[in-house]
Amino acid sequence: MTASVDPFKLEVIRHALSAIAEEMSLVVMRSARSPLLREAGDLSSALTDASGELIAQGRDIPMHMGVMSFTVKEFLKRVPAERLVTGDVWYLNLPETGGNHLPDVKAIRPIFADGALLAFAVSLAHWADIGGALPGSYVPTATDAWQEGLRLPPLRLFTADGPDREKLDLVLANVRGASEREGDILAQTAATRMADRRFQELCSWHGAQIVQTAMTMLHARAETQMREALSKLPRGTYEGEDWLDDDGAGGDPVPIRVRIELEGDHATFDFSASGDATRGPINTTPFIAAASVFYAIKALVGPDIQPNGGCYRPLRVITRPGSVLDPGPERPVVGGNHETSQRVADAIFRALEPALPEGLTAGGPTTSGLLLFAGRRGDGAWTTLYETHGGGEGARCDRDGMPVIRVHMSNVMNTPAEIIEAEYPIRVECQHIRRGSGGAGAHRGGDGLHREYRILVDDVSLTSMFERAVVPPYGLQGGAPGALFQVNVVRASGETYRMPGKANLRLAKGDRVIVESCGGGGYGASPES
Amino acid sequence: MSSGWQVGIDIGGTFTDVVAFQSTKGAVIQAKVRSRPEDPIASLLAALHAVGIDWEQVDDLMHGTTMVTNAIIESKLAQAALVATDGFADTLAIGRQNRRYLYRLDLPPKSEPQIPEALRIGVTERMDFRGHVLEALTEDVIEDTARKVAASGVKAVAVSLLHAYANSVHEERLGARLRQVVPYVALSHRVSPEAREFERTSTTALSAGVMPLTAGYLDRLEVRRPAESALHLFHSAGGMAEPDALRDLPLGLAFSGPAAGVSAAGWVANALGLDNVISFDMGGTTTDVCLIVGGKAEIRSDRSLGGRPLRMPTVAVESIGAGGGSIARLDTGALRVGPESAGADPGPACYGLGGALPTVSDADLVLGYLDARRPVGDIVLNRDAAVTALKPLAKAAGVELPALALGITRVATASMARALRRVTVERGIDGRDCVLLAFGGAGPMHAVELARSFGIGQVIVPCFSSVFSALGCVTAEMSYTQQRTVRMASDDWDQTRLDGIRIELMAQLAPLLESAGHTAPAVTEVAAVRYSGQSYAVEVTAPALANPDPLGEQFRARHQTLYGFAKDEPWELVFLRLTLSAPRRVHPNSFAAKPSGVVAPTRRTDCWFENEAPVMTPRFARDALGEGSRLEGPAIVEDDWSTVVLPPGATLSVDGSSHLHIDVGEAA
Repeated sequence: MTASVDPFKLEVIRHALSAIAEEMSLVVMRSARSPLLREAGDLSSALTDASGELIAQGRDIPMHMGVMSFTVKEFLKRVPAERLVTGDVWYLNLPETGGNHLPDVKAIRPIFADGALLAFAVSLAHWADIGGALPGSYVPTATDAWQEGLRLPPLRLFTADGPDREKLDLVLANVRGASEREGDILAQTAATRMADRRFQELCSWHGAQIVQTAMTMLHARAETQMREALSKLPRGTYEGEDWLDDDGAGGDPVPIRVRIELEGDHATFDFSASGDATRGPINTTPFIAAASVFYAIKALVGPDIQPNGGCYRPLRVITRPGSVLDPGPERPVVGGNHETSQRVADAIFRALEPALPEGLTAGGPTTSGLLLFAGRRGDGAWTTLYETHGGGEGARCDRDGMPVIRVHMSNVMNTPAEIIEAEYPIRVECQHIRRGSGGAGAHRGGDGLHREYRILVDDVSLTSMFERAVVPPYGLQGGAPGALFQVNVVRASGETYRMPGKANLRLAKGDRVIVESCGGGGYGASPES
Repeated sequence: MSSGWQVGIDIGGTFTDVVAFQSTKGAVIQAKVRSRPEDPIASLLAALHAVGIDWEQVDDLMHGTTMVTNAIIESKLAQAALVATDGFADTLAIGRQNRRYLYRLDLPPKSEPQIPEALRIGVTERMDFRGHVLEALTEDVIEDTARKVAASGVKAVAVSLLHAYANSVHEERLGARLRQVVPYVALSHRVSPEAREFERTSTTALSAGVMPLTAGYLDRLEVRRPAESALHLFHSAGGMAEPDALRDLPLGLAFSGPAAGVSAAGWVANALGLDNVISFDMGGTTTDVCLIVGGKAEIRSDRSLGGRPLRMPTVAVESIGAGGGSIARLDTGALRVGPESAGADPGPACYGLGGALPTVSDADLVLGYLDARRPVGDIVLNRDAAVTALKPLAKAAGVELPALALGITRVATASMARALRRVTVERGIDGRDCVLLAFGGAGPMHAVELARSFGIGQVIVPCFSSVFSALGCVTAEMSYTQQRTVRMASDDWDQTRLDGIRIELMAQLAPLLESAGHTAPAVTEVAAVRYSGQSYAVEVTAPALANPDPLGEQFRARHQTLYGFAKDEPWELVFLRLTLSAPRRVHPNSFAAKPSGVVAPTRRTDCWFENEAPVMTPRFARDALGEGSRLEGPAIVEDDWSTVVLPPGATLSVDGSSHLHIDVGEAA
């Protein structure tokens, strides 16, 4: 019989666990060598209990919440707990094993106290390269998983005695920038080592038994909070769908369909009727689908839900093997991470329109609006500008949408024109609001962005990965959809080319790239119509 | 005739603190009065009255103020127009495209642009990032712009042109003409000469929006000030400035109050020879913490205020949403404290001003740390009200009242410990090697418990801890700081351009000190350097700037210290920050303590440190302690405005400057 932990100690331990996860992230940011990790902070840290149930996250990143909630559980299916010993650090990136896409590599360290497995520390970091067809491992034209890079099943790279040199060398031989990658690996390992030390301190302060009990209670608490949130939603069965434009490999629009059964304090989200897995890289994993479900509920009715594994207990998330949300190990997934995850949230919101229209926001820029410009700098070195473009926010029952913003699963900032011009052979000709692009309605959708890039050198590669170029952001309650996302390339000769959403193109000096991001959907019928 | 008083006054939102120091006689007086938010000059006069000094007797009055901070937070800004490069006037509305709240669909995702579309004026001109003119600014365009601004009816205008930090000539020409049509003109290259158009434009717009308010205040001060009495204001980067220097750059006052507290903490750290100090200022709604290494606080320029970016060099104070007024509640089986706060109005339930929700201060009263028989300033504490507020929570949690109250303080402490860890780990310092310097109303009450839970061994409660920001005004140097984007690659070095930038920076700052009679100021330079192609820069103090080689050495050494590796690859000088400072003519070296006598407690009361039972705890008047006094916990040391809690196991001693040194020991 385990003693209960009082409400104060529970909160004190919760803060301490969160502090450990936060410190892990800081360790990675301070000591990693990939600029993505040190500057953009594209990383996540977590603690789980001995069963792999997430207990604390370093920062609240909606996308990583889903991944981290499943990584250790899926890992334990492949590596039984009996094989784990103190000092192990296992590396893993398979999307189908509690993952999302190959560049997000997870380091997992088991934490023992009093001889018993008590917890895991997990450090997820986006490596600047994981091999594959293109530098940076972002391959919009990939048609299978192997083109996307090195696939790492659970691999024990460190033991208490230090690194396993042969395995480490095998990994480093298959990625670009081996010395930088080795620095990232050391940083992730250091973060998990620090977490182990802090966790031991916590156990010696409160007692391992109390810490374990507190973890159990924190899971139960998140479960209760999720049940309370679900109970605020009206019971019933709701169906909704939204569409991905295409897969970039010649396919048609792909439906994301959800059937939601709200049954009081628990619910089922069944995505079985979604489209089949695609040839192009807009597939994603069931873990990302679960992350989107969690996001949608939290945003609609549960802003105070603590993000830990307990909140998934009242939720059933069903995906159909062979579908775009459960494609199996062979399909490419790199774009699904940030495009398809958004469409899952859209489908949920659209399903709930009959039930709670006042709680919803009309369709917005649920796409990264990603353009990658790769070219040579003045000093001859290759450089890549990885730029996302926000669009107009959808309207709500009580207000217009705001212009140029990021919504739902993503919150990445833009790069200032003054930084782009200084660091890339590109001039930003203008950036202004794309007026009139928001959908009409009793409340108008927000306007998108108009930004023009002029290319100042020859031989620049432009890669696109954006959505909402075919299927526009939807209106609600009779509001009009927002304007479509469009990118036009105006050649120095004057000839204009409409850039598809997933494509690659060579640009030459004097070419202009004109981005017009999508507007938000309107809410309610227009007064004038 | 002058009687030699130096007076520091910090005008906060609720209270105005004052410290008066007379160097000739070594006399020091402190006081705290209610602020008069509607009339800051009345607050100044009330503070002087409280210490019994006429303004005519004051040699130098140095003060910090929250006036600009509050105007920005409450959006009480003058309507301004914006003049921007054609095609970029919407930058203010676009921002960085990220949203404020991850999960709040109902709330607007970003601030409305400070300047509406109708007042955003595009001008035809263009610079590149090196400051080369791509498209010239014509006289016709300038005239047309002046007409539009005049027609708009505004009194203030912000001018923010692309890459103006690299070449300011277009902004200067526009500024000269616009000053003929409106009284207040803010130019981006003066306000914030750094790359990133949204942040610079936002900062410039804020500056224009607070210029009329600041100018009006300074005018009134000037009228009221006796001719022979000097006047200085405390600025955000941690020093004193002449009032006229702030007319053009009023945002220098945006973090005036917290910066003064940190400055005093740095002064104490220097005086006591402490390498690593964390300042801990716990107030009613927020707690400010700052890491001070070698007596200097770090400077940051990536701040925001009221939801808008504000890019100016400021002391790197971190604010945590936890304080004496933080509200406790039960949430699904756990006790949460804050971030909701009862603030100063209505305040904690025990203030008896209408607050009914249980707060940290109510817990402190129930635990016996605060004494209901001893008013906090002009507030008489009501223990019954505190009990009434806490009881329902105790019942819901199924515990006795003292257990609940202890729980509230421990949870508040845990959330602050988490923030301390962030502040120290981010800067590569082990917090356990630091000394916790506690001040403000509630800091000394919770410092020992915080130190213990974080693994810190020593707490110092400095002299004047309850009016510490006012002390910071008295002890600060006069200083001016400016930061400027340089962008120079190690393999494309242009020594002439770099020398030019340094001369320009010096030319901007030196006259400000010269006008106050300082012709040989101390010069501090900081260079931000990074590897080419990365955007994360490392700060090098006292950089060698005569040629690139020694700077490269310094950069690699610093990088090695911070990140554990350094590559021999091309690097880039990103920006330069220059600080000119001059010591004040009269410097209070120490505030001597009285010699120790026999210290008897004023009374003994029950205090709770553990759930089981209260401990009969002696209470001491702080001003009865003298040099060499020693106390063993449990004990309470109190004055009119603050309470030091010494739990069992901790020991306190008083040094010759009236600082209280606490060895936190171990909980019994």
